Amino acid sequence: MNRKSLSLICVIFPCLLHAQAPRQIIEESQRRGRSASQRYEGILEVIAADGKASSKSWQSLRLGSYGNSKTVIRFSAPAEVKGVALLVVNHPDRASDQWMWTPAIARDRRIALQDRSTRFFGTDFSFEDLEERDVDQYDFHFVGEETIDGAPCWRIESRPRQTKTSQYTLSHIWIRKDNYVAAQYENFVKDQLVRRLHATDIQNVQNIWTARALEMTDLRRKSRTILRMQKLEYNLPMKDDEFTVQALRR
Amino acid sequence: MKLLLLLTLPALAQAQLTQRGFLESSAQLYPDTTANDSGHVVGESLFRYEAFYKLIDLSFSAGFDARFDTHRETTRDLDFSWFDRTRQRPLFAIRQVGATYTRGKLTVEAGKQLIRWGKTDILTPTDRFAPRDFLNVVDNEFLPVTAARLTYGTQSDTVDLVFEPRLTPSRIPLLNQRWGTPIPLQEASPDFPAAPQYGARWNHIGAAAEYSLSFYNGFDHLPLFRLQPNFAVQRFYPQLRMYGADAAVPLGPVTVKAEAAYFISTDPQSDDYVLYVIQLERQAGEWSFVAGYTGQATTDHRSTFGFSPLRGFARAVVGRASYTVDTNRTVSLEGVVRQNGDGLWLRAEYTQAFGQHWRATAGIALIRGDPTDFLGQYRLNSQALLALRYSF
Repeated sequence: MNRKSLSLICVIFPCLLHAQAPRQIIEESQRRGRSASQRYEGILEVIAADGKASSKSWQSLRLGSYGNSKTVIRFSAPAEVKGVALLVVNHPDRASDQWMWTPAIARDRRIALQDRSTRFFGTDFSFEDLEERDVDQYDFHFVGEETIDGAPCWRIESRPRQTKTSQYTLSHIWIRKDNYVAAQYENFVKDQLVRRLHATDIQNVQNIWTARALEMTDLRRKSRTILRMQKLEYNLPMKDDEFTVQALRR
Repeated sequence: MKLLLLLTLPALAQAQLTQRGFLESSAQLYPDTTANDSGHVVGESLFRYEAFYKLIDLSFSAGFDARFDTHRETTRDLDFSWFDRTRQRPLFAIRQVGATYTRGKLTVEAGKQLIRWGKTDILTPTDRFAPRDFLNVVDNEFLPVTAARLTYGTQSDTVDLVFEPRLTPSRIPLLNQRWGTPIPLQEASPDFPAAPQYGARWNHIGAAAEYSLSFYNGFDHLPLFRLQPNFAVQRFYPQLRMYGADAAVPLGPVTVKAEAAYFISTDPQSDDYVLYVIQLERQAGEWSFVAGYTGQATTDHRSTFGFSPLRGFARAVVGRASYTVDTNRTVSLEGVVRQNGDGLWLRAEYTQAFGQHWRATAGIALIRGDPTDFLGQYRLNSQALLALRYSF
């Protein structure tokens, strides 16, 4: 191998490494977080721009993981939304399907594709933020290395592929090097940072490192929502039949 | 006994009791009086309580309404009416009571319950097991029916079979009040059908669209009227068969929802007709828009006199826009305009939540039109609404 070839490899190899590694990091992060099922009780605190706070709570059940999963969220507070439920069916090859059940009118309602940028029940999470990210629907590249809450992280940029409908033009994801937990997301519309998700209270639950507190900040509205996961359990026996539109009304 | 205890203890350990309800007090303010009603203000309070007890495969529900109003839309009698066939609203009513058995893909529900079919929002022609309280015509709520319902389904296909042994009719406006007819009428005892009704619906969820086919055989929950020999008017509920279809197609910029039903009847006084709705939905940030058209085609005209808001709202452009200001505040505007311009109904509403339990609503409804039009006949019933709800 002559010096010219060696120089070429030295120039190209880091580029190849960066082209492959970010996706592998995301895949490894998802592999470590994968479980057959998940259940938790979520306490949501919504803090408006003027500082006024309101809270909501729900129970979340999930069957499957990453791109091929089903989730049912049932609200338990505030009182007027008690019993309202949401079914999210994620597909590996297309956008997820979502239905909402409103017990007061005994009606399930399909949520349209373009609805996903809408805030979820007045929180700072949009419907899309509640979907899982399927690695096959995004392109990744390495941005750098930074520290979040004292923990060294890889900073990776993800852009939705043309086949993926997303409100976001791109996202930056910080993956912790020690446990591969996503410590922060920054979501952009064009060049404007619109939402930041900050994960804290990272604990090992049944050998899965999990952020039990997620703070979503909407930088346009200057409001934020903190989701705390309580009674979190993984790999519980759950039936497929519990994740259908008809099961929402049970 | 010990064996029974051992068998039931695990189930009881997993049992869950949940409950919810609200107390709502509201005032409707009418600037105009009508020929048969000189009142300007109607006050009403409704207390609703619902409880659910869930074992592993079996769950039970029970709920009741207690209401009172200043205008005698609610009876003062303590008579109990299981099938909700009274002219006035009952003082106490069973909202729901029943049992649900779930086993795999099968769900069996029996008792008093709300059953909803269809996909559109403003008008739902296929929603045959959903009678309503039309005492205030434009501000109506669904009434529960006593039925057995069997649902068998997967994520993609669901079959729904419903059997209702006795008809629960929609409640129509009181004759001596502003939503009733201004012509003084004597009313004979209604002629309620004794036979049961039943229906079936198949729903398919596909990658590109969700659609369903439905069938109903029974009686119309909206009445026709016949004149008795003593010139009294009698309500009756004609035999009705419905063939229906509905669909939701999520497209890029909008979601298209459509619903159509063909109604035929063996009753010599009842029309055969088609009702259809096509609506477009779009969510843009905190805005939500629904706009559509409701159409009707009468294939065999036979009826002379009836009360049907379902058909009365047809041949109209309908729309709704709502804006979520923040977690606690919502503004909405909805309306119906008849295609011939003879009837108009517009409603603007503002709601604000306070803390975990309280919500206040303020709104105005404008009704205009020709006295011969279904909507226009209520042109003196434009109103302002104030409501306060405590939920628990």
